[in-house]
Amino acid sequence: MRLLPRREFWPTVGLLAGLLLALALPLHARAFDLPELSRLMSQVKSGEAVFTEKRSVAMLERTLESSGRLSFSAPDTFVRETLKPRPEKVSVVGNILTLTSGNRTRTLRLDAVPEAAVMTEAIRGTLTGNRQAIERNFIANVSGQPQRWLMELVPIEPQVRDLVRSVQIAGQQSWVREVTVVMADGDRSVMSIEQVSSVRAASAPN
Amino acid sequence: MNPEEGSPHRASALLRRGVLVVWLACVAAAIAIAARTHYVADLSAFLPSTPSAEQSVLLDQLRSGVAARLVLIGLEGGTPAARQTASKQLAKSLRGSGAFDAVHNGDTSQFEATGKFLFEHRYLLSPAVDAQRFSVEGLKAGIDETTSLLGTPAGSLIKPVILRDPTGETIRMAEGMLPAQSPRMEGGVWVSQDGKRAVLLATTHADGADLDGQEKALAQVRESFGALKAEGVSLLVTGPASFAVGSRAKIKHEVELLALAGGVAIVGILLFSFGGSLRTLLIAVLPVACGVLAGVAAVSLAFGNVHGMTLGFGTTLIGEAVDYAIYYLIQARSRPGAPPGDGARRWTLDSWPTVRLGLWTSICGFAALLFSGFPGLAQLGLFSVAGLAAAALTTRYVYTVIAPDGAPGVGMRRRLGQAVGACSAVLPRLRWPLVAVTLVAAAALAWWPSAWHANLASLNPVGPEQIKLDEELRREIGASDNGTIVAVAAADEAGVLMQAEAAGLRLDKLVASGAIGGYESPARLLPSPATQQRRREALPEPAVLAANLAQATADGPLPARRLGAFLTDVEAARAQPTLTLASLKGTPLAAALSAQVLPGDASGGGSRPWRALLRVQPVDPAGTVEVAALRAALADLPGTHVVNIADEVSSLYARYLKEALVQALLGALAVCVLLGVHLRSWRRLLRIAQPVAASVVIVLAVMTGLGVALGILHLVGLLLAVAIGSNYALFFDQIRAQEKAQAPGTPFVVDTDTLASLALANITAGISFLLLAFSSIPVLSAVGQVVAPGIVLSLLLSAAFIPRRKR
Repeated sequence: MRLLPRREFWPTVGLLAGLLLALALPLHARAFDLPELSRLMSQVKSGEAVFTEKRSVAMLERTLESSGRLSFSAPDTFVRETLKPRPEKVSVVGNILTLTSGNRTRTLRLDAVPEAAVMTEAIRGTLTGNRQAIERNFIANVSGQPQRWLMELVPIEPQVRDLVRSVQIAGQQSWVREVTVVMADGDRSVMSIEQVSSVRAASAPN
Repeated sequence: MNPEEGSPHRASALLRRGVLVVWLACVAAAIAIAARTHYVADLSAFLPSTPSAEQSVLLDQLRSGVAARLVLIGLEGGTPAARQTASKQLAKSLRGSGAFDAVHNGDTSQFEATGKFLFEHRYLLSPAVDAQRFSVEGLKAGIDETTSLLGTPAGSLIKPVILRDPTGETIRMAEGMLPAQSPRMEGGVWVSQDGKRAVLLATTHADGADLDGQEKALAQVRESFGALKAEGVSLLVTGPASFAVGSRAKIKHEVELLALAGGVAIVGILLFSFGGSLRTLLIAVLPVACGVLAGVAAVSLAFGNVHGMTLGFGTTLIGEAVDYAIYYLIQARSRPGAPPGDGARRWTLDSWPTVRLGLWTSICGFAALLFSGFPGLAQLGLFSVAGLAAAALTTRYVYTVIAPDGAPGVGMRRRLGQAVGACSAVLPRLRWPLVAVTLVAAAALAWWPSAWHANLASLNPVGPEQIKLDEELRREIGASDNGTIVAVAAADEAGVLMQAEAAGLRLDKLVASGAIGGYESPARLLPSPATQQRRREALPEPAVLAANLAQATADGPLPARRLGAFLTDVEAARAQPTLTLASLKGTPLAAALSAQVLPGDASGGGSRPWRALLRVQPVDPAGTVEVAALRAALADLPGTHVVNIADEVSSLYARYLKEALVQALLGALAVCVLLGVHLRSWRRLLRIAQPVAASVVIVLAVMTGLGVALGILHLVGLLLAVAIGSNYALFFDQIRAQEKAQAPGTPFVVDTDTLASLALANITAGISFLLLAFSSIPVLSAVGQVVAPGIVLSLLLSAAFIPRRKR
């Protein structure tokens, strides 16, 4: 018995395969988009993770590496604490951004510094599934499957786009695995994230 | 007088002519002074002249500080893009106009020139510079910190300069200088929280007290905006500059309007009551005119200027001064068969003592204001005293010469006299009901919570919707004027900057412990000479620095060979002269500093110290700073005061009110003593005091019942009501005394003309104060609201409480 249909049957087979594909496709590609991703992410109420970041800057002789902790809790708290090579802390609660470096602390209002707001909303908005915050600041393009998704965020504000070309966030279910920031001048930073713990909403379906 | 005695007659005629000459000379002098008088209209005249240390900080701010020079601008309507474009263009045009020291709209491109200056002086200005900074470890840490910013949006600022500034002094300077609270940004400009307005903040070059300059700056804003042709976008302007200019225009307009309306009403009444004689009319307004002139001249001589509000208040003087004319012209008219000049003689004998006593009581009342610590109130007092005295003297000495027999016209006044006569027969029967009303009013006053809760804002001639808009824009821009300030004082510039640094060290601890959110200090923009010198001395020799740098960057991302420019810059900085306010002149930095450093006048021989203002921010932008904690932290620093603007403003008003209250009470006491000494009878004193006190109680009760917030000007109004109202009581008392002096059984015919003159005087005064009550300037309307009903009540109650003898 021949494994393949005979040549004259190929158009039919093609047609059948096409039909099958047409039926199968919606099952897989069915609307995994920003609303769906936000819904998925918003089920997680708080979480902690560790990160390592590699930054390649054209004018430096070598890549900068840093590592530390990330934590967030819905609706609007996000903390990034760098432990190595030197302690630094960025914490955002609502509209207030607090920067701590060494023994110096500075407080800024997020909406007064659009550049900072964009970086914050990209990560905080994604982690907390805040679709409005993302859409307010970016043109978002979600691709992939819940199992492995990728979201590319392009800043809306022209002044910010002069600095940041895009933020790419890769994840798996409600877990962000990697954040890549591409600067307008070609410098980029890649932050790999490893989840430590997370608390899901009690009532939310799995 | 015997006509045969020729020489005394001639002498008296000469004397009369002499009186006229003196009077004319006085009028001419007063006109000359008034014509050269400087009229002002800023609210600072209503601020105390002997303030406490905290208050003087506030006053400096109000008078000449940046607070008085702020212009808050909002652009609303149209599309967001149209507003953003308009904001950028308007800011550009205003910056180019030269009328403003600073224009902020969130656009930082204007800082380029400043940035260059700051960058060139970074080793004198950066707070991070010390000897440790340029050791191997210091350099390593500095470079690490700076490079860690690269590859982030914040790094874009440092990237172009990192090879000249590897330790990131630029960042450290910026951290200290950028305001902790700035508005939301959209499209590169500041917008309100709801995004519906673009907001701008400008500081006029003209001083807060220079209203003409401020007016020009505001006109510049409107003109520049008009030229933009921004589709659908409308302009909102507010701030102290706009308030001051707006209130000046408003005061001027209203004072003119009031003077006109009052003049027309009183002329109408006079024409009506004197039968339309133009001559009588001219004579009747003489004391008023002389009073106003004398008031202006006296205030001008004593204070060097006349406040618009004083002038507006002065028009109310018409209300009392015209009384004198009415009393005289009616009461002095000749009786059938009397020789010429009999009227004047009779009036001088019968009524002048009463009028004189009334004048003294009024002067007592107003003299209390003279000693007020507030120049504005003192002006009102002096204006009234001088004005009333001039009006009364004109009546006594000039009228008796030019109108020896009063006014010839009869007009409506006979009917009026009859009507008043009828009323004065009925009113005493209502005595007990009126006493009951008074007691109820007094009980209500005691029972109800105090209505004396007006605040300093109630003196503000600006309308509530303007104040609301101002508060909104302030909130949006983050320029709240209800903040907390740490004020330090020292003898000179270097000293005050050092003091600011010392206070800053304490404040840094409070920031670190989370007690306060942050603070702004002039020492961050311009460190004291000593600090600059210390930083310069910390810069190492070129060879030492090169060696340290090589070691610090050995295996780092930024090799020493690329940092040649850094070494050159540090070497250059070692020879830089120390920066002072003078060397910053012309840079935007000087404008920013002028808001925070107020120069003293010690070099000019004065005693005002240099002052630096450190604005403190609360942890939560919507919250407040804990003043007690701040005071405790700064307690042992000499010359340092913590000033909470909102508290100071209300304590200022509380002091203002308390002082005015004491003065009003002293004035009332002086009036009583004067009457007591003059009348030498407790019973008569009580009789006169009764109706006046009762009318005060009733007016107060009605105002409280209506929920009016009572303030200083109401108090001044009450004093005025007492001063004028007591005149009516004196006349009723005079009638009663005349009646009593006659032999028992003789029929006493009350002079209806005297009653008519009282009623007429009351109506004219009532009308002029009623006009004031409808003024949109709170200061004037408060006076009118109290005085108009107060004096009408005084007349009615005098008629009721001082009855003629029962037959």
